[in-house]
Amino acid sequence: MKYMLLIYGNQEKWSSIPAETWPEAIAKQDAFNKKYQGTGELLGAYGLADAAAARLVRRTDGTPAVTDGPYLETKEYLASFYLLDCENEQRAYEIAADMPWADVEPVEVWPVLHEAAADL
Amino acid sequence: MIPDRGVEDLLRELAPQVLGALVRRYGQFDTCEDATQEALLRAAMRWPSEGIPDNPRGWLVTVASHRLLDEVRSHQSRRRRENAIVAATPQSELLGRPADADPGADRDDSLTLLFLCCHPALSPPSQIALTLRAVGGLTTAQIAAAFLVPEATMAQRISRAKQSIRTSGTTFTMPEGPERAERLRAVLHVLYLLFNEGYTASTGPDLTAPQLSDEAIRLTTWLRRLLPEDAEVAGLLALMLLTEARRPARTTPDGALVPLAEQDRNTWDRTLIGNGVALVTEALARGPVGPYQVQAAIAAVHDEAEHMDATDWPQILALYELLEQLAPSPMVTLNRAVAVAMVHGPSAGLVLLAALESDNRMVRHHRLLATRAHLLELAGERTAAAADYREAARRATSLPERRHLTTCAARLAS
Repeated sequence: MKYMLLIYGNQEKWSSIPAETWPEAIAKQDAFNKKYQGTGELLGAYGLADAAAARLVRRTDGTPAVTDGPYLETKEYLASFYLLDCENEQRAYEIAADMPWADVEPVEVWPVLHEAAADL
Repeated sequence: MIPDRGVEDLLRELAPQVLGALVRRYGQFDTCEDATQEALLRAAMRWPSEGIPDNPRGWLVTVASHRLLDEVRSHQSRRRRENAIVAATPQSELLGRPADADPGADRDDSLTLLFLCCHPALSPPSQIALTLRAVGGLTTAQIAAAFLVPEATMAQRISRAKQSIRTSGTTFTMPEGPERAERLRAVLHVLYLLFNEGYTASTGPDLTAPQLSDEAIRLTTWLRRLLPEDAEVAGLLALMLLTEARRPARTTPDGALVPLAEQDRNTWDRTLIGNGVALVTEALARGPVGPYQVQAAIAAVHDEAEHMDATDWPQILALYELLEQLAPSPMVTLNRAVAVAMVHGPSAGLVLLAALESDNRMVRHHRLLATRAHLLELAGERTAAAADYREAARRATSLPERRHLTTCAARLAS
């Protein structure tokens, strides 16, 4: 089963973290990524750029129309995502709880829809 | 390059024999496994154009042994191990195998190998991946494609599995007594999971990915040749054949699921059904009876009914009662509830389901809600049934099942 883990946050929250603690935090995250790439359960881990770099895209007359946004300053927004492929839900929860920040910030765990279906 | 089916089939047949022979002689399962894969790859590239050698097994053992030797040479404790390998290799083995060689040795090695891949130190996904590579002779890329994960991820999973076997200190010997029975159960479970994975997944976009259900049937047929006396091995094979027989009818061309009751039974594969019925009949007569034989018997009763109304539900109910004694699980109870509903009416089935609603494993499960919806619909309670179908759809993680459940809800609401 595949699961998506999502981490949210916002600039205000990240700015409040002392700069000198970042290297350690990043090292912890790298260690987490390495650990689960090593078990063959982490398919990908991606951090997103700041919301200032995000854009909204629509199709207008067959061509992309790109505008600024989304405007998310007040709310928390998606900061990074992780794609797992692991044995079951319990295992996905176990891995999510092993995220370096999971003791202070919750991690969202979403099952990814799959094409398999049992007989009816 | 178009794969040569003849060569490919031969290589996959020989893969466990070659690996088994190597591990038997040198130990070091993980290094031998890599060497065997390289020998298989080299053969796959050369044999189609150069022709199959007179002794293909000997050719593969020779190439894999040389590869192993290269590997060992590059290793630190070079001389000592090199001497050990040279000393341990009978010249005759490198040249080929005499025609009168004991085929029993290959049989035992292949079985030991399969049992090793299903080692309890490994999680089921790792057992499956390792079995497909070491016993099935598939490449890491093929296995990755079949499970829709990147090749690097699958490579990591396989290498981790081999590492776990090494650190568990397991030797290349067949477990004995109760441990052997326990391990055989694990082996059958791995083959069962493999079949399910292939049977339930619709064909992905990658047409070169191996069909996992075919692979499961191939490996189980092979296992049955090695253990012809085991009734559960026969039962599992029968279950696979009887389930596979319904494949043409279980989905529409656009991928929508068709429930058993609505399937076009003319498209069921009669040859597979005949083979499956014969297998399970023979297995049940031999005994001892086990869960796979009973599940196969249930599949056989369904497969032998010419139409839904002709289904022998009292017999199916009796079989589910037996299955629940042999291998109790909430899923079995769920299926028994459907059989109870067909024999004694929907309200009797609903009473049985109510007992499951207090089971923590089941209370949020979409299958419980979907079954309850079905029984409520049979009881004529359309509104409650529609609500349960909708809730089941919300909980399902399978896209085809979700679509099907949503359709059921919509049908009742209109």
